[in-house]
Amino acid sequence: MGEIKPPTGEPGGPAAAQREYLSDDPRDIGWVRQNVPCQTACPAGTNVPVYIREIIERQYGRSYETNREANVLPGILGRICSRPCEDQCRHGWPGNGEPVAICHLKRVAADMKDAGHRITESLYSPTGKRVAIVGAGPAGVAAAHDLSLLGHDVVIFEREERAGGMLRYGIPEFRLPRDTLDIELHNALRLGVQMRTGAEIGNGEGQIPMAKLEQEFDAVLLATGCIAASPLPLQGDWEKRELRGMEGVEYGLDFLVQMHRGVKKVVGKRVAVVGAGFTALDCARVAARLGAQEVTIHIRTAEEYIPVTQEEIFEAKREGVRIKGLRTPVGLTAEGNRLTGIEFVQNRLGGWRAGGRRQAIPIEGSEFHEPCDTIIIAIGQQTVNDFLGTKLELDRWGNVRVGEDGMTSHKGIFAAGDYVNGASTVIQAVGHGRKVAKRIDAWLMGRERRKQVVRIVPVEQPLRERAFDFIPRQHMPTAPLGERMKDGKHEVELGLDETLAFEEAKRCYLCNLRYQIDVDRCIFCRACIEVAPRNCIKLVRGVEVNDDGAYGKLLETKEWNQVGAIWIDNNECIRCGQCFKACPVQCISISRCELTEVEI
Amino acid sequence: MANAKNARHHIVIGSGVAGSQAAETLREREPDARVTILTLSSLLFYNRYDLPKVFRGHRDWREFLAFPAEYYKDYRIEVRRCSRVAGVDGSRRSITLEHKEEIRFDTLLVASGGRGYIPEELVEFRPLMHPFASYTEAVTAASVVPDRGHVIMLGGDMIGLDLARTLIDTRHRVTLVAGPQTFWPHEVTDDERPGLIAALENMGVEVVEGADAGGIASIEQGAKGLSARRVLFKDGTELYGDVVMPFFGLSPSVEFMLGSGTDIERGLLVNPALRTTGEGIYAAGDVCQIWSDAEKRYRFFYGWKNVRAMGDLAARNITGGDEPWVPAQDEQLHISDDGKIQSPFWEYE
Repeated sequence: MGEIKPPTGEPGGPAAAQREYLSDDPRDIGWVRQNVPCQTACPAGTNVPVYIREIIERQYGRSYETNREANVLPGILGRICSRPCEDQCRHGWPGNGEPVAICHLKRVAADMKDAGHRITESLYSPTGKRVAIVGAGPAGVAAAHDLSLLGHDVVIFEREERAGGMLRYGIPEFRLPRDTLDIELHNALRLGVQMRTGAEIGNGEGQIPMAKLEQEFDAVLLATGCIAASPLPLQGDWEKRELRGMEGVEYGLDFLVQMHRGVKKVVGKRVAVVGAGFTALDCARVAARLGAQEVTIHIRTAEEYIPVTQEEIFEAKREGVRIKGLRTPVGLTAEGNRLTGIEFVQNRLGGWRAGGRRQAIPIEGSEFHEPCDTIIIAIGQQTVNDFLGTKLELDRWGNVRVGEDGMTSHKGIFAAGDYVNGASTVIQAVGHGRKVAKRIDAWLMGRERRKQVVRIVPVEQPLRERAFDFIPRQHMPTAPLGERMKDGKHEVELGLDETLAFEEAKRCYLCNLRYQIDVDRCIFCRACIEVAPRNCIKLVRGVEVNDDGAYGKLLETKEWNQVGAIWIDNNECIRCGQCFKACPVQCISISRCELTEVEI
Repeated sequence: MANAKNARHHIVIGSGVAGSQAAETLREREPDARVTILTLSSLLFYNRYDLPKVFRGHRDWREFLAFPAEYYKDYRIEVRRCSRVAGVDGSRRSITLEHKEEIRFDTLLVASGGRGYIPEELVEFRPLMHPFASYTEAVTAASVVPDRGHVIMLGGDMIGLDLARTLIDTRHRVTLVAGPQTFWPHEVTDDERPGLIAALENMGVEVVEGADAGGIASIEQGAKGLSARRVLFKDGTELYGDVVMPFFGLSPSVEFMLGSGTDIERGLLVNPALRTTGEGIYAAGDVCQIWSDAEKRYRFFYGWKNVRAMGDLAARNITGGDEPWVPAQDEQLHISDDGKIQSPFWEYE
């Protein structure tokens, strides 16, 4: 806890908020981080309230550009994001209802912008520096985009025939149409990024050695992701047996990658998928489309704890996929080389693992058998380092170790995305790719060239109405089952139409609006408190200041002789505007606070 | 002896067979305790096994009540009807109702039962189906089926087949679209199934195997002059009826327990003493999966006798007991000598 200050007014307070200005005051930066939970939760730092507000104004192109400032692939993430923002959305807090469909609205911005939409990019002068990026997945593409904006010459080396990495080779088309993927990648890389596909880094014949990249480029960024499927740990006779090559055994990642390379995949009538992430769910849904009659996902814990969205689970179930919990595979059964089933052990739920996942504890003597003709193993992915040739320090999980500056133990070689962090999500990869790009730029140029500030814009009146708080979450329309199962490509989610999008966008509290009371003008009439729908306006004697300079806990009091101010608790505030309308002396002001970057 | 200040507050969520039995046992074993039942229903405890009677013309809700209102007064059981639980905080031992009221408890018994499960592929047709899980739903369904009307029954769990007996008896036409949930919760083997289906047909139920027709493609409103509902199968065949009723078994009502600190798989996971992993929180009835030492797995136990016994056991363990669960009824499905299906799940007092 930091120092305690009496409430003497805030930076960017009513007096200052008569005009738009930029602030690097830690209290303002801290305010945004504390009060705009969706943006803080987004690994790329997407300015969610602003792009949603632009959808309300039907400025779809501008909304798309607002997205692109943080996340260069909005059309993609608007379809397949894991949505950490929605988990933190204030509308989803206890008593407030369901979170805003932030991800679906991102897609609205991408899908509804004009066909001839003009992309906005702020370009720096050429620096003469050259950067090689290994891997054209989300981290590599995001970094390439930002580095090229910063004036560097960027070349991406991609071993596959086409760019996109796991976006193209790991995610089925019914979740991410390839025309959308192509457009978004093209938009991201059109600023002169050279894409060399079919170019594999390594020491074998026809491969490009890392040493050559080091010679020819000023910096190298490794963004090869996690491209090896994790093996299934079994017990007894199966512990050391090689499962690859067994008839009916597939590894989820390889299964999807091969399918997207054009290999015809076949599954049996009864398919068992082992795993609990997006890859497992994708494999199960692909198996259903390939004609499996019974598809079951077997998970170690319970459905409540699997890290995929409820909507994905529901759609998979609609397609006939079943989920069975509390079981861990311990062996297989086979006739010759052909799989006939899986031996499981029953689990009970244990404590929590690091990273917020639930533990599963096997129950001794509870083994049971389930027959199947195909098992798809999708329990995780790992990095591969054998292409390097250069020895880099690795962590205990085999991921490359990087410093604060994003650099590996080898000077000039940086790493980003899943290759550093292990298997994560697309938005995490995009966010990390951008972050490392900034550090590469600082290293190449010898200084930071951009810094974060808060743009504070006065707002004349509340942008919301109280009635908006009671609009239910609008649900994503989906393709009828008959249509979607005809082939493996028919997109399942159809997107919100303009009416649904408008209704959903109105639900956003616009948490970036800061409501403040001018203590000097307040007459303490309590009119604002009377109309407040929540306990959001408080009598305080002081406010704690955190170590980072941001405001912390409010020190409330009920004793009038101790009241230093009447204060809007922006954490509780749902930006309904009732207090603003009720104030008889107009001492409440509203300002919009947005994180942005400026040149140093 | 406890007084009003130190008397424990036992809350029971759910006023079905398990919840009501538990409340009664709690009162008997702890006379000074405060016992509160929270229920979504607007009615006091009624027996859902009696609901088929609505097709025999019994529509007065008073006929269905298990106990008169005085019973609750005499037993000092507070029943709060129309109360939707929004969340449970196990660490603070508090319940939040949908209207934001917070209620503290010393012990909590979750006996919220299950709601009729509808397979996800049919969820979009929910508005065109008539469920039969509550008094209100039963009366609504009965009011839309004309005299000697045609009921299309999907799934055919034992609750639905119980209703089918009444419907046949009251000269309605019943077509069952059979599938994996037919005879639920009985686990019927492939060898047993043809004989049981034949017994249903002997009973007067027309049976269509849903899988033979490729499964249901859609449920639609019938056109003018035709029956009210049309069930279209993927092979192009169709069925017309006055009402479509889903009977696919039960799905535990546990949503409000998410985040409570108790373990959930499909239902609340409990040990043989019906304790959840949340301190002071128990579960009974169709909402819980009980650890079975014999079978080495968590499993549901259904049926009126089982559910009532669970309510009683949970209450005894809440009030100091430590007894393990022992099933109170067998689970075998039989065909009697005269060719009729006999199920222990149809037996109740």
